[in-house]
Amino acid sequence: MAETSNSHRKLRIHALRYNPAKADDTPRIQTYELEEAPGMTLFIALSEIREKQDPSLQFDFVCRAGICGSCGMMINGLPGLACRTVTKDLPADISLAPLPFFELIGDLSVNTGKWMRGMSEKLETWVHSMGQSTDLKRIEEAMDPALAEEVYELDRCIECGCCVASCGTARMRKDFVGAVGLNKMARFRLDPRDKRTDADFYELVGDDNGVFGCMSLLACHDVCPKNLPLQTQIAFLRRKMVLQGTKG
Amino acid sequence: MKIVYTDVLVIGGGLAGLRLAIGAKRRGHDALILSLVPAKRSHSKAAQGGMQASLGNVAKGQGDTEDVHFEDTVRGSDWGADQEVVRMFVNTAPKAVRELAAWGVPWSRVRKGDREVIINGQKVTITERDEAHGLIAQRDFGGTKKWRTCYAADGTGHAMINTVADQAIADSIPVHERKEALSLIHDGSRCYGAVVRDLITGEVSAYVATATAICTGGAGRVYRTTTNAVICEGIGHAIALETGVSALGNMEAVQFHPTGIFPAGILVTEGCRGDGGLLKDVDGHRFMPDYEPEKKELASRDVVSRRMEEHIKKGKGHKSRFGEHIWLDITLLGEKHIHTNLREVWDICHYFLGVDPVKEMIPVRPAQHYTMGGVRTDPSGQSPTLKGLFSAGEAACWDMHGFNRLGGNSVAETVVAGMIVGETIADYCDKLANTPTVPLGLVREFVEREQAKLAAFTKGGGREDASLIKGEMQDLMTAKVGIFRTGKDLEEAVDKLQKLLVRSRSIGLRSPSLGANPELVTAYRVQRMLKIALSIAYGAAVRTESRGAHFREDFPRRNDAEWLKRTLATWKSESDTLPTLAYEPLDVTRMELPPGWRGYGAKDYIDHPDTPERQKAVEAIRAQYASDRFAMQKALMPYEHLLPEVLRGKNERIDERF
Amino acid sequence: MDSTPNVIAGVGLADRPRKSRWPARMDLAQSATGLVLGLFMWGHMFFVSSILLGKDAMWSITKMFEGYFFFGKAYPGAVSVIVGAIFAILIVHAFLAMRKFPANYTQYRTFIGHRKLMAHEDTTLWWVQAITGFLLFFIAAVHLYQMLMHPGDIGPYESADRVWSGRWWPLYLVALFAVELHGGIGLYRLCVKWGWLEGKDANASRKRLKTLKWVLTVFFIALGLATLAAYMKIGYDHRDRVGERYTPSWVVPNPMEKAK
Repeated sequence: MAETSNSHRKLRIHALRYNPAKADDTPRIQTYELEEAPGMTLFIALSEIREKQDPSLQFDFVCRAGICGSCGMMINGLPGLACRTVTKDLPADISLAPLPFFELIGDLSVNTGKWMRGMSEKLETWVHSMGQSTDLKRIEEAMDPALAEEVYELDRCIECGCCVASCGTARMRKDFVGAVGLNKMARFRLDPRDKRTDADFYELVGDDNGVFGCMSLLACHDVCPKNLPLQTQIAFLRRKMVLQGTKG
Repeated sequence: MKIVYTDVLVIGGGLAGLRLAIGAKRRGHDALILSLVPAKRSHSKAAQGGMQASLGNVAKGQGDTEDVHFEDTVRGSDWGADQEVVRMFVNTAPKAVRELAAWGVPWSRVRKGDREVIINGQKVTITERDEAHGLIAQRDFGGTKKWRTCYAADGTGHAMINTVADQAIADSIPVHERKEALSLIHDGSRCYGAVVRDLITGEVSAYVATATAICTGGAGRVYRTTTNAVICEGIGHAIALETGVSALGNMEAVQFHPTGIFPAGILVTEGCRGDGGLLKDVDGHRFMPDYEPEKKELASRDVVSRRMEEHIKKGKGHKSRFGEHIWLDITLLGEKHIHTNLREVWDICHYFLGVDPVKEMIPVRPAQHYTMGGVRTDPSGQSPTLKGLFSAGEAACWDMHGFNRLGGNSVAETVVAGMIVGETIADYCDKLANTPTVPLGLVREFVEREQAKLAAFTKGGGREDASLIKGEMQDLMTAKVGIFRTGKDLEEAVDKLQKLLVRSRSIGLRSPSLGANPELVTAYRVQRMLKIALSIAYGAAVRTESRGAHFREDFPRRNDAEWLKRTLATWKSESDTLPTLAYEPLDVTRMELPPGWRGYGAKDYIDHPDTPERQKAVEAIRAQYASDRFAMQKALMPYEHLLPEVLRGKNERIDERF
Repeated sequence: MDSTPNVIAGVGLADRPRKSRWPARMDLAQSATGLVLGLFMWGHMFFVSSILLGKDAMWSITKMFEGYFFFGKAYPGAVSVIVGAIFAILIVHAFLAMRKFPANYTQYRTFIGHRKLMAHEDTTLWWVQAITGFLLFFIAAVHLYQMLMHPGDIGPYESADRVWSGRWWPLYLVALFAVELHGGIGLYRLCVKWGWLEGKDANASRKRLKTLKWVLTVFFIALGLATLAAYMKIGYDHRDRVGERYTPSWVVPNPMEKAK
């Protein structure tokens, strides 16, 4: 196990505090000091602050293992998963702020779930079998093993919202579906069980709220905690949608 | 008073709740899901290694059937499971996997031809059949005779919940996120829904439904060291317990997973060992074969966890600054395998330990992992004592896991139970007689009672600190109600937990807001969690035998003569500090697989008086129907009548066509 | 006249039941015009920088574009045709690119804050692109209009006089930075946007493209500064003879022209 060389630093966590439900509240930065412990993550640090210093501090953690996507926040200016951010990789002064773009619940907590649901409804992010029914008693349909792996690769998205929060387009234009939405389209387009054609996908993302809104700033690609190949997938989808949109 | 009406109220947006809601909705009933968090963030997502279903596609799974899966599961449960329910489960599991395949889960698939795998520390070449090419693959898991665990790399739960949650969206099932059920509305015999608090605004409202289903997962967070997500606090269990009517079954049956990373307790999948990973001690010695020559690293979880702790007690653990641990060595699996089939494991090791598992060993130690106990239901998923209340998944004691669950059987249970209970709950709602006449006065009474309880935290003048109490409870549970249990420790734990419960009744808040307030949430949850902790500790203290994951050092033998029965805990009065325990015997004379040795673990146990006779009867039937496994099964223990009609029927396999 | 399409589009239902194909066309057109302009800009820079090789070299290049070596006679109108085409492409490009600009104060403020907080290179580069693009609306328009109307005023003295005595050099100085930054970033972005030159490892190729982009930008800005300095020097030396056209000593004056 990696030993920490600076395990007893005094950390200063500068957290953005704001409760939008309170009419007279103003956004401010509150600083908490605590002693760093070996192996400390921002999950551990924030939990300790809530337990020992300030029980009112709002933030979201669920799995605390980097797999559920609840704890996306701006860590020293960049979106990331707080639960798997180890404090020893950060300077002693740590600035924390909620992910922008999403509805703010309070302090570091944002409502990514609500937006993601809306995105899923809009883009119909499920396999469209187009009326084909499956007899569950029969052997399943075969699928190319390599293709299954490719679909899984794109299915690894945890909807943490980091890509959207880092996206210049989304920040300016609220209806943009973001890398998360475009990646999902690429995932379903790849999946042979989804019977939709490019003409169908064009109806979903063939406009400036979809793939043509993307300005290729690639912050999404750079901050994605799951290292999804967003750059490649969006470029691929763009080519397919341009082809679809310009033919005939 | 705000009231939301629906047909089926599902509390919990994990795999079980989602699948159940989809089932009910597709049968024409309105379903509404309450969830503490966005559905896809539920703890189902954390399931890594896979889902058991006897498809038998891979070479090492050839010959697998429901029968083998059934026996593995019952043995795994140490005969604590309801065998009829296990039968329902094993027959539905292949259908569940295939349904999920059609819905879009990117299951890992079989590649025909030769491939190299690691078995028992050796490189072995396996040849996959041509006809299996492209079908769903299986990997090895603990406590199973065949390779049966279907998987999507090591993000199986993730892939499953993505797919199922998206299906729920496709079916326009509303998920009311960041809502918490505070209590069930009931009149002592019938459940009418729940009192619900909005975690963003703090608003308390009533959700009234024909049927209410608790699908809230486990209660791991009553322990300090757990693989469970922070939301797994057993609140679903608690609100069922607090009705005073519905019972919790077998709460003392708590599973410890062998490989939680040390010290954080984050899970690394059983797939690590299933795929050939080894457990090593301070000397780099592979010690499991010394204890378990048959199954080695792949004995059931309770056994492996116990052997690890036993080995550490012998001074063979690796000593680190945080305490002692064992090493999990997957370096022998090779870089390619780890980067394709164990990538979440790689991520976790990389981010949380700074360890590259391709090159280095992973520090692990058993951590609380699974709550076998839960809301007691009949095979249809309904509470036998509170009409209109259903439960499915980890929250339920249905009871297919008994005293120990096999790896890969829990995600399988979530969707299988969701499929089955989704149908039975729809059947229930179909009947006009079951549509309740809602006593609005009662609804209001429940809402006001909860509001008063919340107000008491902010205005009651209490001085106790909620998170301190919670911390003491967690430490106590991990120290005294862990893998090795003794009467002395358990009594001490029960005593201290009772005191904590009393203290929790005078909690005061430092930030007295009724809106979004994490401290308030901790306050009302810790009161409920203590009741769950007490149900576990007290149940464990009374059960003077060892069975599955419940191991008493002072009573190391399984005692079927006295303890082949299910613990039922109820909480009779709000002023009580202990649950009331009752016991429901398991009927040996109806068992398809009478109690015996599990095939791993301790060999000595005390037989139930009915066992020898039943064993003889079973053998006779087996001999009589030797040629037809379906007829044999039917003669041994008919169960199909318990399954919803749409889910009945044989499962096709490469080697078994119909 | 049938007003049906107007009514349907007017109330926002033009996209039913099928989405318009214009977003795809516009996206493609924006990239295509950008690509043409970007490559043109590099070529243009090489041509004007020929002054560094001497007045004769620059004269030759100019005359080549005017068709002198093909027809034996210069047709400055040919330059107007090229300029006109570029002007048209520029207008289309600017019109399409405008869609991406912040459209109001809120968006402007949001983006600035976003850029500062994130300090993400490609995001910042886009902002540079947006600002330089905005500048180029004016700078390029002025320059192109001049070239369109006076295509014959290109030459070692003609250009140098414009730069120095015509006081165009401040405009060209700003234009140099604006164009090179805008075009360099734009060409890099085209590659990542469409997945060109991605290879097996997209991250590694992106890193290489980024380096290449910077190298080229620095190279062209250096080249541009040297070129501008050369014209300023020539213009300064020639300030008393403004209007005199340059003719290399080795060119036999056209008898026809002399007769005029």
